[in-house]
Amino acid sequence: MNLRSILSVGPTLWGIGIFLVILGGSAPWIPGFLLTLVTGLLIWATLAYSLNLITGLVGYVSFGHVVFMAFGGYALAFGVGALNLHPVVGVALGAAVGLALALGIGLVTLRFRGVYFAIATLVIAVAALYIVLDIEELGDGKGIILNPAVEPLSVFYTILVTLAIEVGVTYAITHGRIGYGIRSIKGDEDAANTLGINAARIKLFVYALSGLFAGAAGGVYAWNVSGAFPYSSFSLTFSLQMLAMIVIGGMGTLLGPLIGTVAVYLPSQVFLTIPLLSGLQFTVIGLVVIIIALFVPGGIVGTLRKYIPEFRGMLE
Amino acid sequence: MADAALFLSDLALGVLLGCVFAVIAHGLNLIWGVAKVVNVAHGEFIMLGAYGAYFLNLWFGFNPLLSIPFDAAIGLGVGVLFYFGFLHRELRGKESMDLQSEMVTLVSTFGLSLVLINTAQKLWTPDNVGIPWSPGYVVFGPVQLPLGGLYVAIVSVSIIALSHVFLSKTYLGNAIRAHSQDIPAAQLVGINPTITASIGTAVGFGITMVGGALLTVWLPTGIFPAMGNLYAPISFVIVVLGGPGKMWGSLVGGLTLGVIINVGQLFLGNNLSLAEAAAFLILIPVLLLRPEGILR
Repeated sequence: MNLRSILSVGPTLWGIGIFLVILGGSAPWIPGFLLTLVTGLLIWATLAYSLNLITGLVGYVSFGHVVFMAFGGYALAFGVGALNLHPVVGVALGAAVGLALALGIGLVTLRFRGVYFAIATLVIAVAALYIVLDIEELGDGKGIILNPAVEPLSVFYTILVTLAIEVGVTYAITHGRIGYGIRSIKGDEDAANTLGINAARIKLFVYALSGLFAGAAGGVYAWNVSGAFPYSSFSLTFSLQMLAMIVIGGMGTLLGPLIGTVAVYLPSQVFLTIPLLSGLQFTVIGLVVIIIALFVPGGIVGTLRKYIPEFRGMLE
Repeated sequence: MADAALFLSDLALGVLLGCVFAVIAHGLNLIWGVAKVVNVAHGEFIMLGAYGAYFLNLWFGFNPLLSIPFDAAIGLGVGVLFYFGFLHRELRGKESMDLQSEMVTLVSTFGLSLVLINTAQKLWTPDNVGIPWSPGYVVFGPVQLPLGGLYVAIVSVSIIALSHVFLSKTYLGNAIRAHSQDIPAAQLVGINPTITASIGTAVGFGITMVGGALLTVWLPTGIFPAMGNLYAPISFVIVVLGGPGKMWGSLVGGLTLGVIINVGQLFLGNNLSLAEAAAFLILIPVLLLRPEGILR
């Protein structure tokens, strides 16, 4: 990659890059409560981009993405709690666990298409909870509690770097040679196979990347809340919220997951602070998801591209 | 011999539980078979059925079995609304579901499930409630069975049998089956696709909500807004095990799951959570080896 091709990556990637750099540069001066909010936002954005890889780009709806996140969190909690690793190494361990798990699960479930894949991933996530409840090293049903000596800034920078890498990887695989393969699988998998595209290998590759980043995000999440607990880590709400984010932002786009995260996460936090509305945030998110799925395919980014011609060349 | 007695009673309980699992999955099976749509919000309609039974009990003192007709009526209405709200736009004028429409229905019904769970939590609080109804036990040799569970099992099997008779012996049922097999051919012989698909979906919802009411007999304190998160995956597994669109498939799948969960504990060292994991994971080999379901 020479300098010119790096400079000509397009306004969307530039925009996200500048946004992340500004966020990173100003972090030491952001007040504590706001930093917590932004860290949460970045964790969710990492998760949304991770689901976007398999569901948005390849078109395989996964309801069980939480499984990578949860095991990533457990990997960090186990690594830091039992092996005394540094939390950043723990996050790397979480990413490795997510990758390995995605390779294993993907090898089997990626053979199923459409709803069967969605159901298989959902069922694996539910079964994984019951298995973890029974593993003594992972704290049986109680989970693992870490010392809450968290430095907010190191959590923040870890997730910022992870997200930056993830966005870069998303850009690289959509613009590289493999991107054609991914698009053709989304369009018509059988036709792609006939044209000599190794669909099974491409799907597994993308799913593994997706598991890797979800595992890393899960690790950071566990680090941030100082522990991993079975019922909350494996809560299907996580999978559902990730899916809502990419549906609202725009599936399969480069900017969509970030926009969707902001659109889902910030209002939810506002709702939480108002007693009358607290608990209703998911009702509103659900209504928005229904409306977008039925009437506005493409989400926010897709709609902007459709109705404002100037954005067509800029947004991706 | 204590072990054999334990095995027998676990087996009997598994069969009873399997029957009620079968009926909660049966509604999903019908919708999946007729409209070729997987309703991700299925678990939430089970929850609504359970709450229907709970409130009928709270206000009028009905037992869960008495609340069946009311839940069924509500379910039929909700099913028609659901069809025209969520499915009609995607199914209208199409000869078969494509992947794009499948994605739209998956995502939109998933949004519906978010709405229903969280509205229910706001309305009825996230706490567990239950129906105090236990008609006693009946003893067969070494096996002691809860009478409530027995009634529910009988009703469940009758519902599945009735739906089988409805689909294979009545004109409307045959129309629904014809529609599910080949839409253009069904239209050629004068079957209105919208009416058949909406009736099929409505019947499916009616059975789902009745299933929720029947399930409450097994859950003395287990009715809560997020209960669908457990029973929806169970229903998905059952329908895939039996094969979508096969009426007896739900019974076969339900019995398989009920027996694995109850008898599996014995072989896995009295470990309920591992038995439940096994019951869910059986889906994977079935999908790999017999994607059309256990039944032929």
